[in-house]
Amino acid sequence: MSARPGAGNARPETGNARARERRLSRAAHQAGVAYLFVLPALVVFGLFVFYPLVKTAYLGFFTTPPAPNLPSHYVGLTQYRSVLSSSDFRESLWRTVQFVLYTVPAGIVLGIALAMLANRRIAGIGIFRTIYSSTVATSTAVASVIFFTLLNPQVGLLSYWLGKKGGAGVLQSSSLALPAVSVVTIWQNIGFTFILMSAALQSVPEDLLEAARVDGASSWLRFRAVTIPLLSPMIFFATIVGIIGGFQAFGQIDILTQGGPNNHTLVLIYDIYQWAFKYDNTGYAAVLSVALFVILLLLTFAQFWYFQRRVFYAR
Amino acid sequence: MTGDYTPVTDSVVAAIPLVRDAASSVALEGVTKSYGAVPAIRDLTLEARAGELLVLLGPSGCGKTTALRLVAGLEDPTSGTVRIGDQVVNDVDPRDRDVAMVFQSYALYPHLSVARNIEFPLRSRQVPVAERRQLVATVAESLRLTPLLDRKPAQLSGGQRQRVALARAIVRRPRAFLMDEPLSNLDAQLRVEMRAELVELHTRLGITILYVTHDQVEAMTMGQRIAILNDGVLQQLDTPEAVYERPANAFVAGFIGSPSMNILRGRLVAQGDNFYAAVPGGRVALSLPLRRAVEERGLEKVVVGLRPEALSLDPQGTITGVVSLVEMIGHEQHVALRLVGGQLVWVRIGGEAARMRTGEDVTVAARGTVHLFDPENGVRIEVGSAEEPEHSTGSANAPERSTDNAEHSDP
Repeated sequence: MSARPGAGNARPETGNARARERRLSRAAHQAGVAYLFVLPALVVFGLFVFYPLVKTAYLGFFTTPPAPNLPSHYVGLTQYRSVLSSSDFRESLWRTVQFVLYTVPAGIVLGIALAMLANRRIAGIGIFRTIYSSTVATSTAVASVIFFTLLNPQVGLLSYWLGKKGGAGVLQSSSLALPAVSVVTIWQNIGFTFILMSAALQSVPEDLLEAARVDGASSWLRFRAVTIPLLSPMIFFATIVGIIGGFQAFGQIDILTQGGPNNHTLVLIYDIYQWAFKYDNTGYAAVLSVALFVILLLLTFAQFWYFQRRVFYAR
Repeated sequence: MTGDYTPVTDSVVAAIPLVRDAASSVALEGVTKSYGAVPAIRDLTLEARAGELLVLLGPSGCGKTTALRLVAGLEDPTSGTVRIGDQVVNDVDPRDRDVAMVFQSYALYPHLSVARNIEFPLRSRQVPVAERRQLVATVAESLRLTPLLDRKPAQLSGGQRQRVALARAIVRRPRAFLMDEPLSNLDAQLRVEMRAELVELHTRLGITILYVTHDQVEAMTMGQRIAILNDGVLQQLDTPEAVYERPANAFVAGFIGSPSMNILRGRLVAQGDNFYAAVPGGRVALSLPLRRAVEERGLEKVVVGLRPEALSLDPQGTITGVVSLVEMIGHEQHVALRLVGGQLVWVRIGGEAARMRTGEDVTVAARGTVHLFDPENGVRIEVGSAEEPEHSTGSANAPERSTDNAEHSDP
């Protein structure tokens, strides 16, 4: 509507302008208060997440000097290119992927299996639930030490059972070291996955399973067509958490193998650790760290994209 | 009925030609089911005949759903026999019992589309895909679900969900249908529509339906026979007319009818040729046959049952009270009278009468059927038989139509 000057509508226009001003001022005030509330979190995130992230990416642009007192050189993207195209990076990345493939699917399948077993109304089931979930209360270091002893070629019970007593230990075998570390990781994570899946199973409505029984479904079909789809949000969650955890697995490798034998358990995160703290090459480690961050980010996005249409969220 | 309601057509019959042939009787024979020391069902014997719609009716916790679950195989009986057709199914897995169940919650698989929900029982039975699709399409068409086939249950209204549950039950052509309060989640209007649809479906398909409800109106309007349970014990198994007109005991009398039957404790008094029961607020005259029946039992006290429609306003009446509450239904009034001693008695008055006012003193006369029950065990006192009537008429051979043994009595 076009505004025509005139005595008749001058007052309302002035009134409208004042009202608009008041609205804007109120909105600005509200926004200010809102930012004030966000500020503490923003400061903490900025200091401990965003700044280190940016600083790490920045460090990747500099080569670390051969001696501590020498200046570092700005090399731009050269170091990124050289590190990411190296065979060492590709090999450690592949080992990491292998490690994730060993640990995540098996961990979830076992977690679901144990949760299904424990999801029965039988006497003493609480004892089994406690046992199954107990590994969640065990630290990675403790779990690793236990398995280190069990796998010891001289005194380890597992080495004895595996026929490895006295000879080269499992952790010293180039073909068995990574699977062995994976088993320890699965064992350590099983409690957490079990708790997740048990909680999800409790939320599957009993009458759906009963309806499927009356509808003639076998126990396998009930599991596949009813239980699993209703567990899918939790499976999705466990997958994402498992993959991120797998890419970041450090403690068990440090205690059990230190990346050996012959780098056969040298996963990306341990590689980063070695470059940063063993070889004092922060530039190289920074590039690997940024690569790990980007890989995990893309993987998580890809999973969200892939699972979005396959996961059923009850409404 | 609302505008969009169209009754189920012959297409369902055409779609599911085997249903009629497959209909089987469903029977519980001396079944007891206990959870630990707590019995949910005690010595229950009843049969839904092939093609019959038998309603299990009772208050919450009476064991009616347990009875249904026993037939479905979702519960195992502590003792007794469950039979479907000629087959004893006590040890048969639910998936092999060949019955379909409609749950109170509908139990639709929330992650599957309507089409996949309906198809599920066929998929379980490994019916070839082409045949599955054909059956799903036909059943969906007949239940007006075709436009909804790609939707998920969360995107459906209550009535549509109910229809999907029904389609899932129908599509597999089972020997019997078990329905656990399937209309209880619907609004009042839709419930009436679906009630009519279910009855029509039953009539057209000739299927056996064991139907659980706590709603006596639903039971009366849908059931060919009604089995009334209380505390896990069968109280009466008979036609809707019979349970209304000749309730087997005071519990059934009080449970059937809305407002429910007035139950008054009475003391028998003989005055010359007149014989009546002195009740709070007055007396109820008893006919000669009733007098004989009571005298043969040697009773001094009885429980008198009077339906609200058996009472009418009459200044010459024999029961007086104060109007305590008036419910105007439209075509009639339900008036609660408070008698001496505080007991409430409901009176049904035709709509043409002036609206009663609370606090008004009124006198009513018992003009309809007077029901008498034994004060000890609540069992109905039958006219013409001094023998103790059976506690329950659990027989499958219920009378075609009840004969009113109670007498009309006029004060």
